[in-house]
Amino acid sequence: MIRNYLLTAWKVYTRRKLFTAINLLCITLTLMVLLVVTALLQNELYPTGVEGKSDRYLQVGTVVSIGKGGNATRHSPLGYKLIEKYLKPMKTAQLVAAVTGPRTVSVYQGDRINEVQMRRADANYWKVLDFVLVDGRLPTVEDDTRGRFVAVINQSTARKLFPGIQAVGQPMNIGGQSFQVIGVVEDTMHLNSYSDIWTPISTDPSTEFRNQMWGDFSALLLARDASDLPAMKAEVAEIAKRVQFDDPKEWTTAIMWGDTKLDFFARGLLNNEQNADSGAAMFLTIVAVLMLFFMLLPALNLVNLNMGRIMERSSEIGVRKAFGASSSQLVVQFVIENILLCLFGGLLALLAAKGVLLWLEGSGLIPYLDVDINLAVFFIGLVLATVFGLLSGVIPAWKMSRLNPVQALKGAA
Amino acid sequence: MIKLENISKTYQTDKVETLALKDINLHVKKGEFVSIMGPSGCGKSTLLNVIGLLDQPGSGSVSVDGAAVKSYRDKDVSRLRNQTFGFIFQSFHLINDLQVIDNVELPLLYRKMPAAERRRLARAALEKVGLGARMEHYPNQLSGGQQQRVAIARAMVGQPQVLLADEPTGNLDSQMGSEVMDHLVQLNKDGTTVVMVTHDEREARRGSHIIRVFDGQLVA
Repeated sequence: MIRNYLLTAWKVYTRRKLFTAINLLCITLTLMVLLVVTALLQNELYPTGVEGKSDRYLQVGTVVSIGKGGNATRHSPLGYKLIEKYLKPMKTAQLVAAVTGPRTVSVYQGDRINEVQMRRADANYWKVLDFVLVDGRLPTVEDDTRGRFVAVINQSTARKLFPGIQAVGQPMNIGGQSFQVIGVVEDTMHLNSYSDIWTPISTDPSTEFRNQMWGDFSALLLARDASDLPAMKAEVAEIAKRVQFDDPKEWTTAIMWGDTKLDFFARGLLNNEQNADSGAAMFLTIVAVLMLFFMLLPALNLVNLNMGRIMERSSEIGVRKAFGASSSQLVVQFVIENILLCLFGGLLALLAAKGVLLWLEGSGLIPYLDVDINLAVFFIGLVLATVFGLLSGVIPAWKMSRLNPVQALKGAA
Repeated sequence: MIKLENISKTYQTDKVETLALKDINLHVKKGEFVSIMGPSGCGKSTLLNVIGLLDQPGSGSVSVDGAAVKSYRDKDVSRLRNQTFGFIFQSFHLINDLQVIDNVELPLLYRKMPAAERRRLARAALEKVGLGARMEHYPNQLSGGQQQRVAIARAMVGQPQVLLADEPTGNLDSQMGSEVMDHLVQLNKDGTTVVMVTHDEREARRGSHIIRVFDGQLVA
């Protein structure tokens, strides 16, 4: 039966080439946009490469401080003291890393000033994340504890600051402090790894950061195994209950969560900083609903095109009904035809999305972007194409399958 | 085999109500070759469609093989059509996108049957109508007579008890028409009940008996 359906579908689609081309264009464009979005989301939420261990680590990016009586609330990145005193001793974590967010700093080279992004990180940071070292070495615990003024830079920054010469070993002046480049890593564009320059935490001009409960740090908590993440989450929640601020009369309660990447984005976007539930399920639902909405308009257009296409086939519908096809069998036939077309459009969309992503990477619109269409995106693409096929195929198929066979045979659809 | 009791059928358009069939009582016995005759618009085709469960009567009852058709639910009538009837249409109604053999296979698609068996039966049916060499042709590569023979092969491939033919020679010249009639007569001799609508008295007389319809009613 499927062979018969496929043969019919192939003939129908090759018979009216312009019609089919318009259908395919509509499908391909719609799915291409969705696949580009999916690839970007996939890359951010489930990255490979530098942050490839993200299925094994949690991040604590914000501490919510509640004032006495609940009158005041403060949302802030973590202070180093909070990480040092409360998170570093965690039992369930294998490693706890501290890193600041990327800050814009000025690099002075002779009469040139370059604005670049810089993070300060402890030695564990380099163990949690898997930077690809291109030249030199990565900072060690010793570099951090001894406050060595060493810096790691990425490839683009190396090319920009030290064109034509080896960057490792070169001195550089960052905001008035002199550093020596000890390593060059590949460019990366991920939440915790994005930066141009990294220096040890201990090189901060002031030591005041060590006494702060609020600051601009995040903590990365690496588990021994992915299965330890729930226990780590629970421990972070427990730790939050024990946190004592420097001024306990003013700030009485701390709330913080150990989040996966998905949790982190969901919590931030849905403003769930005070709830244990990050809202990840809601976030994914919202993404799915938005995607469905995005598909709806082109799907309606396809419904219209499909109605016309199926109407041309009323005689075939009549014949099939006369020889025993039930309405549901006809619905299945037409929906399969439409899904096949959508799957083909999906494949074209995958190629087009790859092209768009290559263009996006090359354009520099998103610095250091490196997104690939992996197996997960491919399968999501298949699902999207099938959903699109169902959305745009079911209504015309259902409507035409209800045709009275006598009317259908007369071609009076 | 087929029993129609007090069948009436009215077509309703915006302003006009047309009585297509009125109080039809008809009994088609197993193995008969019934020819339905009458002027254009008298209700012959409507009668054939009601017999073949393609159309639902306004009132009255249809019995197939002794069992009254109680439900015109899509699933029920689809199964009955598939198991009991084979249809031949004046304008062939072959699917031009499919090869001849795929057209002939069509009724078997809606039965639980292995693909190889379907193929074998479709080949046998085409051999029987003398089109064994045309299996991989497309309908529009065949003459009208050949197309109608394909339609006959399609109608008989599922070995239906009743063959319903709506002016099967209407679009054919006399020689091709005669060939098609030969096939129908042969099928009837082989045990298939045939009900045929025709304008042609000569063709009608090749059946076992003739019924005449005028203004939606059977006339003597």
